[in-house]
Amino acid sequence: MTFLIQQTLIYAVPLMIVALAGVFAERSGIINLALEGIMIFGAFIGVLFVNLTQKAGTFAEAKAAGDWVALQGFMVLAMLVAAIMGAVFSLLLSFASVNLKADQTIGGTALNLLAPALVLFFIRIIANQNTLQMAEGDSASWFMIKKSFFGYGRSDEMGFFGSTFIDKTYLATYICILLFILLSVLLYKTRFGLRLRSCGENPQAADSLGINVYVMRYAGTTISGALAGMGGFVYALTTANCASTGDVAGFGFLALAVMIFGNWKPLNIACSALLFGLFKCIAASYASIDINGDGVFLLADVGISPHFYRMLPYLITLVVLAFTSKKSRAPKAEGVPYDKSTR
Amino acid sequence: MKKLLALVMAAAMALSLAACGGTPASTSTPASEPASASTPASEPASEPAQTETVSADDIEDNMTSADGKYQVAFVTDVGQLKDKSFNQGTYDGVKLYAAANGLSYKYYQPANGDQATDDDRYDAMKAAVDSGAEVVVCAGYLQEAALKRAAIEFPDTPFVFIDGYPLTDDAGNTLTNVAGIAFQEEQAGYLAGFAAVKDGFTKLGFSGGGGGTNDACCRFGYGYVQGANAAASELGITVDMNYSWEYGATFQASTELQTMISGWYANGTEIVFACGGSMFQSISAAASANDGYVIGVDVDQSGESDTVVTSAMKGLSDAVQWAVAKVYDGTFSEIGGNATSLGVKDNAVELPTAADSWRFETFTVEEYEALYQQMLDGTLVVDNDFSKLETTDWSNLNLNVI
Repeated sequence: MTFLIQQTLIYAVPLMIVALAGVFAERSGIINLALEGIMIFGAFIGVLFVNLTQKAGTFAEAKAAGDWVALQGFMVLAMLVAAIMGAVFSLLLSFASVNLKADQTIGGTALNLLAPALVLFFIRIIANQNTLQMAEGDSASWFMIKKSFFGYGRSDEMGFFGSTFIDKTYLATYICILLFILLSVLLYKTRFGLRLRSCGENPQAADSLGINVYVMRYAGTTISGALAGMGGFVYALTTANCASTGDVAGFGFLALAVMIFGNWKPLNIACSALLFGLFKCIAASYASIDINGDGVFLLADVGISPHFYRMLPYLITLVVLAFTSKKSRAPKAEGVPYDKSTR
Repeated sequence: MKKLLALVMAAAMALSLAACGGTPASTSTPASEPASASTPASEPASEPAQTETVSADDIEDNMTSADGKYQVAFVTDVGQLKDKSFNQGTYDGVKLYAAANGLSYKYYQPANGDQATDDDRYDAMKAAVDSGAEVVVCAGYLQEAALKRAAIEFPDTPFVFIDGYPLTDDAGNTLTNVAGIAFQEEQAGYLAGFAAVKDGFTKLGFSGGGGGTNDACCRFGYGYVQGANAAASELGITVDMNYSWEYGATFQASTELQTMISGWYANGTEIVFACGGSMFQSISAAASANDGYVIGVDVDQSGESDTVVTSAMKGLSDAVQWAVAKVYDGTFSEIGGNATSLGVKDNAVELPTAADSWRFETFTVEEYEALYQQMLDGTLVVDNDFSKLETTDWSNLNLNVI
């Protein structure tokens, strides 16, 4: 059970935060199809940052000294750098769709095509191969929170709560959850959030009340880019051993599906991200999931083909979207470039 | 505000353009001015005598030769060149031989990564020959079809087929310019499995690459099971083993593999044999997260992670140097067209026994050497017919094939 919860969280959190990134852009009226591209770029920047600082030896001392607070700070710094560069990258989309009034779908697709190519190009220059990895060690030994940090021995028990939510987790997971909550509040309970959402519903009306639609749309897309960039790095850190390959296994597109399934609302998105995370986790590790801890691996013993389990996340996507898409309600003005003269 | 944003955007775009424009220009410099730029790269090659023992890592991966010819060529298998395993170990042999003998060398990675087709591989081999290769080292059994085509087309170029076998053309004639070099991986696997169980591990795992179609990985796995079973029966205990080819078909690291192996560790598996190139990354990450242990493959991987207890090594680098030397001393015909299988008798498979690579707690180097000696003098024969893996009734081992 512990294993299932932990792995589900690991898969769900990047999905959740990137889906929220999509919400910020779409609520402000910009369709951000570039989530995948920005994730790839963010993952690359984060991994590059980790790689370079490791080579510079700045944090090796902290690791040698077992100073895990410094190491966690180092990780947060990498997340921040990934977020900043993600935001910068997303400016390309904002510029094209706000200033140039270009078709947002095409702009987003262009970024999706650009990002993997650009990232691979840089990786090949830097690492002389198709993967950029950490300079030394693996992400778990550098950044994972272990019970030994809190003085527990290898065989000591931490209890269900401790061993599920503290031992063998990443701080990044909780930072993302916290950010998710904070930003959801920002979107729904503040003046800024209301203005942002109004620009995605009826920008003409918003403009008539003195809200600068262009600024709001820039803000929405930039927040979106920052979150997606950070989400990309968190994905690389927690599931891909802090390696960047110009690929995030379609998580950006999956996040779009999560966003639509979650009906552009944070709470629904959180739930649907958990659902997808759960099935991703089952698909990969069905054979070692022991739900009630009695030593019986139910899913493996049922005798269903492994291929079925691997199809599950995608089957669920199809089924769920088929049933919920009728009720889905996208922001009204998304995808329409705002033109003052058409008021 | 709008103007400011536009300005920032314009600056960002200009900068990124400059960055894109600047980098290729700087990397292409060596190509256009080989004489001046090649000095640092060719230095070790031209003065090999100065350094006594050269580590392969100290030799540049890319070298530039003044005449644009590269004498010793290496065509990679799927996965990364720097996989810290199969490709890297093979390429180390190329680099070491070339550097020690003042030859130029180059690696060719077939296009399209792990989706490389036979055409991509053939193109890489052709590129190697066109660049003046005097010998082409090809790693991995996947290159068979491409290698056959290249060997027929370039009958005067010797090819060294690592993890391979002799090839015949369509008329059934043996291609004498292809030397097939294989290893007795089952012996290395046996040593690793035996040592792990003797050291007290009772829940083992095996995660192999190639999806069960790679003979080398199959032999590793089959030997590993035999070794574990033999040690368990000596100790009078029963051990469990998870045995899987899942998520290894392309030898790449993947999130799914990491999750699956994490699941194993979370359910009690103590040590996993990571048998396949870059898959090591995912498996060691899972081990590190769960305080588990790993057995490395092909080369001594103890330096990659503290979780590595030992590595089932095969002497890739030595075999390559040996075979390439045969090209240059004119005795290639001894191995060309023949199958060479290297094992303990050739000192080609082993576990690393250096003090910092030996991380067993109770199993000693002496016990290991005694076992090795048994293999050497033939009292212990490790079966290599891996098709019997699942049909054999293991006396002291529960095999759980996933």
